[in-house]
Amino acid sequence: MALFPVTGRFVGDFVPHLVAVDTEDTMDVLAEKIAVHSVGRRVPVPDPHPGYEVLLADAPVPAATTVGELGLQPLQWLDVRFRGRA
Amino acid sequence: MLLTRDDWYELSRDVDWELDHVDRATAFPANWTGADGIPEKAWDAWEEPFRVSYRDYVRLQREKESGVKAVSQALVRSGTYEKLDPGHVAASHLHMGTTCMVEYMAVTMQSRMCRFAPTPRWRSLGVFGMLDETRHTQLDLRFSHDLLKHDPRFDWAQKAFHTNEWGVLAVKNFFDDIMLSADCVEAAMATSLTVEHGFTNIQFVALAADAMAAGDINWSNLLSSIQTDEARHAQLGFPTLQVLMEHDPQRAQQALDVAFWRSARLFQTLTGPAMDYYTPVDQRKMSFKEFMLEWIVNHHERILEDYGLAKPWYWDRFLLSLENGHHAMHLGTWFWRPTLFWKPNAGVSKAEREWLREKYPTWEDNWGVLWDEVIANVNAGRMDKTLPETLPSLCNLTQLPLGSAYSRHELAPHQLTYNGRLYSFDSEVSQWVFELDPERYAGHRTVVDRFIGGEIQPMSLEGGLLWMGLTPEVMGDDVYQYAWAREYAALVETEAGTLAGVPVAGE
Repeated sequence: MALFPVTGRFVGDFVPHLVAVDTEDTMDVLAEKIAVHSVGRRVPVPDPHPGYEVLLADAPVPAATTVGELGLQPLQWLDVRFRGRA
Repeated sequence: MLLTRDDWYELSRDVDWELDHVDRATAFPANWTGADGIPEKAWDAWEEPFRVSYRDYVRLQREKESGVKAVSQALVRSGTYEKLDPGHVAASHLHMGTTCMVEYMAVTMQSRMCRFAPTPRWRSLGVFGMLDETRHTQLDLRFSHDLLKHDPRFDWAQKAFHTNEWGVLAVKNFFDDIMLSADCVEAAMATSLTVEHGFTNIQFVALAADAMAAGDINWSNLLSSIQTDEARHAQLGFPTLQVLMEHDPQRAQQALDVAFWRSARLFQTLTGPAMDYYTPVDQRKMSFKEFMLEWIVNHHERILEDYGLAKPWYWDRFLLSLENGHHAMHLGTWFWRPTLFWKPNAGVSKAEREWLREKYPTWEDNWGVLWDEVIANVNAGRMDKTLPETLPSLCNLTQLPLGSAYSRHELAPHQLTYNGRLYSFDSEVSQWVFELDPERYAGHRTVVDRFIGGEIQPMSLEGGLLWMGLTPEVMGDDVYQYAWAREYAALVETEAGTLAGVPVAGE
C-alpha cells in the first residue's frame, strides 16, 4: 500500500491532472479520484450517471484490477470516461 | 578637417585583437561562440545593416528616454491609471511580472555577444544591445515603481523571477535555455531572429495598440519605445543566418524550428489571454490569431523562403495550435487563478462569446462547453467547483500544462522513457524538440516533478501556493468578481421561470 502519482485525463476535459492514487486502489476507486477534478467542474454530470471506466493505452481495464497490478511507471497516463461512451 | 562617420566607421567597428598569449580557440571557445564548423573567414561576410556609432546611439537613446519619461511623469500625475479598466490593468501586471527580468536576462545574453561573438562587428553591436536591454529593464522597473502605490502586484516586476510561481518558472526556463545557456549563434537564431524580430511584435506592437485603445497611454508609450530598440538589435539575426546558411543550413533550420515552436507556446500564454480575454471587447484591435497570422506567421514564412529554408514539419499542427492554445492557457490560468499574481478576466460574457465565436469558429465546441459548466457552478454558488484541488500535469519541455497546445478533441498522451524515467509532453512537437537533445532538457524539473520530489510542503494546493510565494494581497481571483456570469443566471430565470437554487454570485 503506497501512494503513487499518475497522469489522469477525464475524456472530454481539456487537461489531465496530477492525481495521487494508492497501489491498492481498484479501477473504480482510481476512476473516482481522477474524475473528481473534471466532472462537475468543466464536464457536466450526466443524468442518469452511467459510472466510469478506466483505459490504459486505449484498452479498458477491468474494474476490480488494482493500480499495483498494472505495473505503471510514475506519472503514466490513464484515461477515465463515462461507462458506455466509447 | 574632421573625418565624417563613413570615413572611420568600418575601421572602428572592425578593430580586432591579435592574440599573443592564448590561441584563438581558447579566447573564443566554440561552445560560447557557436561557430564550430564555420571557417573564421566566413564571418567577413557578416554585415550589419544599421551602422550606428556610439555617439549617435547615445544621442538617439537620450531622446527616446526623455520622451518616455515626459509622458510617464505627466500621466502618473494626471490620475489616468485609476480610470483604467481593471481587466486591462491585469494585462500590465502579467507583462511586468513575466517580462521585466527577461529584459535583464537579455543584458547577459548581449554581454556574451559583446565578448564571444565570432566577429568584431557583432561584438561591437552587442554593446548597443546590452545597453538597450538595460534600458528596457529600467523602464519596466520605473513604470512599476510609479504604480506600486496603487497595487502591490507591480512589485512582481522585480520579485517574480525570485519566486517559484509556475508561469514564471515556465518563462524563466525558456529564456534560460535560449538566452543564458545558448551559444552566440543559437541565441541569434532563437532570440534575435525568432523572439525579438518576430514574436515581440505581438507583445510590443499589438499590446501597445490595445493599451492605447484602453487609454493606458503610459504603458503603450513604454512598449512602443522598447520596440524601437528591439527592431534594431534584432537585425543581427539576419547576417548570422546568412553565414549559417552557407556553412550549416541544417543547423539553421533546426534552430529556427525549435525556437519558433517554443516561442509560439510561450506567447500563447503571455499575450493570447491578454489580447482575447483581458482587453475590453470594444477596445480590441485584432484577435490574437489575426495578429499572429499577419505579423508573425507571414513574416516567418517570408524569412524561411528568402533564405531557402523549409517550413517546419509541424506547420499544420502549429496552425491548429494557433486556433486553440491560448484558449487552453486562458481557461487553465483562470481556473487555477489562486496560482497567479494577477487577476484574470474570464472574458466569456455573452458579448465576449459572440466576439470569440466570430474570431474562432470552433470556440464554442472546443471551449464554450467547458465554460458553461464553470458558469453554472458560479451561478449556483458552488465556488469550490470552480477552483482546483490538484495540479495540472505539465510538459517536460515547455513546462506548460499538457492539453494546452490544442483543444480537448486532440488531447492525447505524448510520453517517452529516457534514462529510466517517464517524460510527458504537451504535443508531438514538444516531444520532438526533447528528442533532438534529451540531455539538454532531461534535468529541467517541472512544478509537478518538484511536488513529487517533496520540495513542496505541505503536499497540498495550499502548500503549493506558499511555495510559489503567492500572498493574499496579490493572489489571483476573477477581476470582476464574477459579475459577468449574472446574465446567464437571468437566462435560467427566464427559461425555467424560477431562480430557486440558482443564487447569483456575489449577492
